[in-house]
Amino acid sequence: MDDVILLLAVLLLSASQVFQKIGARRRLVGRRKVRDWIHAMFTPELLAAGSCIVAGTGLWLLVLYRMDVSRAFPFLSFGSILVVSISRLYLKEAVPAYRWMGVALISVGIALVAQT
Amino acid sequence: MKTATGRWLGLTLLVSSILLSAVGQLCMKAGMHELHVVGNAWVDRVGPIVWTAGGLLAYVCSLMAWLAVLVRYPLSFAYPMLSLSYILVYIGAVNWPLLSETATPMRTFGTLLILVGVALVSLNARAEDNMHRGD
Repeated sequence: MDDVILLLAVLLLSASQVFQKIGARRRLVGRRKVRDWIHAMFTPELLAAGSCIVAGTGLWLLVLYRMDVSRAFPFLSFGSILVVSISRLYLKEAVPAYRWMGVALISVGIALVAQT
Repeated sequence: MKTATGRWLGLTLLVSSILLSAVGQLCMKAGMHELHVVGNAWVDRVGPIVWTAGGLLAYVCSLMAWLAVLVRYPLSFAYPMLSLSYILVYIGAVNWPLLSETATPMRTFGTLLILVGVALVSLNARAEDNMHRGD
């Protein structure tokens, strides 16, 4: 059960990463004024990023209440695996071999940490 | 951006973001850890709430710094640096007396594998990142 909550938190936090990256590209590149940045925070991309972060962080605190942070934290890298897989499956991006090797290492690493 | 000031600002933002994210995680964990220890009275909960709120504040600051980093650096340079926080959180969780989590060989090895894996995954993302940005 703890690991289910952990995975759900990781999903939400990785989704937020994707929204942040989209938002940074579309709304923040080239903006210098603080006022522009405040306005940018209320665009759909960054509002979505914020919502995912709030929900994800709430679940994350619940996870921290229940297990060691040194066990929970490495699971956040599960997000990298998701992003690479989504890029390949849905965005049809070419994924080089060394990147799949990285995915394999992360998977083994998470499996090892999960045992503890 | 190419000026000395711009470079130092960029580097300071990157280092701050990494440090704040690790410190934030450890403080949040400290808050949740204290909740186990303290009594049920409201006044006993002040400590844990302060730790957690401090952790969240550090986390928010780290995110703001990270957004500024994303604007300045290609993801291929910035993202592998972010994985340094795995090591920082691990070292902090084990060595901070308040938390004193147990370091096991398997957890250490797993964390190191993840560190290398994250670096490999984000290797050479620069070309793609610039393409998306239209630079």
